[in-house]
Amino acid sequence: MTSAPSRPGNADRGLTPADLQQVRFTRASMLRPGYVDTEVDRVMHRAAEELGRHMAEKAQLREQVRTLQAQLNGAPAHVPPSEQAVRILATAQQTADNYVAEAEAFSRQVTGEARTQYEEAVRLARENAGAIIQAAQEAAARLTGPAPDGSDRSGRSVAELEEQVAYLKAFGQAVRVQLRSYLEALIDDVEAEWGRADPAALPAPARPHGQRTAVAVESERSTTFVGNTTADDPAGEQAAVEGVTAAGATRPAS
Amino acid sequence: MDIPAMRASFAKASAAGDEAPLYFYSHLFLSHPETREMFPVSMAHQRDRFFAALGEVVTRVDDLDALVPILQQLGRDHRKFAVLPAHYPAAGASLLATLEHFDDQWTPELAKSWAEAYDVVATVMIQAAEAAAEQPAWWEADVVGHERRAIDIAVLHIRPRVPYDYLPGQSLSLETDVRPRLWRYYSPANAPRPDGLVELHVKARDGGPVSSALVRSVGVGDVLRLGPPVGHLTLNEDADRDLLLVAGGMGLAPMKAMVDQVARHGPPRRVDLFAGFRTEGQVYDRADLERLAKDNPWLTVTLAVSDDPVSDLAQGAIGDVVLRAGPWSSREVCVAGPEQMVSHTVARLREHGVPPQRMSSEVFAPSRPGPSVDGEVTE
Repeated sequence: MTSAPSRPGNADRGLTPADLQQVRFTRASMLRPGYVDTEVDRVMHRAAEELGRHMAEKAQLREQVRTLQAQLNGAPAHVPPSEQAVRILATAQQTADNYVAEAEAFSRQVTGEARTQYEEAVRLARENAGAIIQAAQEAAARLTGPAPDGSDRSGRSVAELEEQVAYLKAFGQAVRVQLRSYLEALIDDVEAEWGRADPAALPAPARPHGQRTAVAVESERSTTFVGNTTADDPAGEQAAVEGVTAAGATRPAS
Repeated sequence: MDIPAMRASFAKASAAGDEAPLYFYSHLFLSHPETREMFPVSMAHQRDRFFAALGEVVTRVDDLDALVPILQQLGRDHRKFAVLPAHYPAAGASLLATLEHFDDQWTPELAKSWAEAYDVVATVMIQAAEAAAEQPAWWEADVVGHERRAIDIAVLHIRPRVPYDYLPGQSLSLETDVRPRLWRYYSPANAPRPDGLVELHVKARDGGPVSSALVRSVGVGDVLRLGPPVGHLTLNEDADRDLLLVAGGMGLAPMKAMVDQVARHGPPRRVDLFAGFRTEGQVYDRADLERLAKDNPWLTVTLAVSDDPVSDLAQGAIGDVVLRAGPWSSREVCVAGPEQMVSHTVARLREHGVPPQRMSSEVFAPSRPGPSVDGEVTE
């Protein structure tokens, strides 16, 4: 026999599959063919022992698996967190939440204030723009037609002002016609009287008289329109009438 | 299940105020750390909501007919948070631990009742989530347009990467990477279009983390995640009664979607849209509304301001402006806007003779993390 089972030193190492494969029994003798039975018996015995040991170990392991499995199924899957751990995490979370809430509150306050200021600025700007537009419209009205003087600048819509401008134009027209006929009647009268006194001094056209008289009226009645009206302005006559009517402008409005 | 005993033990926990949900979440995160990333950094709002929702469930636990649809909606809605069936038992264990912690007379019987009740709730939610599994848990959508229309208002155009279907008037929840895990509800301002574009109107709330980010930080090229559409403010498809639509502020979005619906799909009906704002500067969508009114002979648009005396627009509370332009008693009416505006308008129209069953309304409140179980939708 050439293998491990023959060596006593290997006995406590355990029987390995390789040992079994390598077993070579020696032939007993020419008279009795076969293996030496003592050797065979020894190997069989050790194999049986080994098998027994493996089976016992397997049973033990199976039992261990079963208890572990039972633990896993029965009890909660894992140890529940300790009260202390829960408390620590709760405090940490709460602290973090407070910081976030504070930041949000701050952001709310800052954006809120910024928006209020923005809206206020826009409102003021719009009011300013409105005032500028109104002033421009008044100035435009003053340039193109009769306009109220200082006393009632505010609180009127464009439509009201336009209506008033139209009224004043018509009023001015009427006054101008009246005034002209009155002046012409007066001139006729004067000329008649003067002509009787000194026919040679009689001036030829009646028209310049009207203009001169009108300018005189203007300087009496109005100061504000003088600057806008040059003395030789062909519209001088009309400007004079405007001066007259402007003085009475509050009447139709009220 | 001993429901009165459960209510009593729940009352003890809710008497502890914020402590109870604080304990619940800490317990959950310590025993299942992987669940933490499903929640936002700040848990304050989440805690309020959790106990409110739980209270709702407990008070209705003996009325399963009413509870089941709510739970199904919750279960479907939770898919967008990437909640898995395995998470439900974890939350259940922490819930029981919380109730036990705040109840000095906790008994094994009570624990059993709660475990059973929780199991019913979880099963309904999980089944609803599984039933909805053929549609995505969330939709990714690219921001393709971002226009600032006022200092605090932006109009976004987004294109979902896979088709996203909804009804005009519904709302959708969305999340942006800039503010992870914070979901907010917005109402599309158009009916579903062939090109898939969705128009959203967003007003930055003072201190509102998501709305401010959507107005000021998010831009073209960013990606939003959308949850499934919710909400009950929808047109009755068969009716062809003429419509009166009344919007206050950002409540304009669902109303514009309804106008779009009539324009795209009919049936032909006259539509009168009234939109009220505080000042003229806040009328953020004027050009588009005027274009719609010009292109569609069946549509009139009336804009009004309530706090801007120099404006040329109609003056007064939008409810009063609507009433001045009446009569409306034959109309189908939809109202959306801030709470006070909605209640005022609905009350005025009811006095005016519009039957309540022909009026639907939706309150657009400042952002909340999600709809309440009653389907309240936020801006």
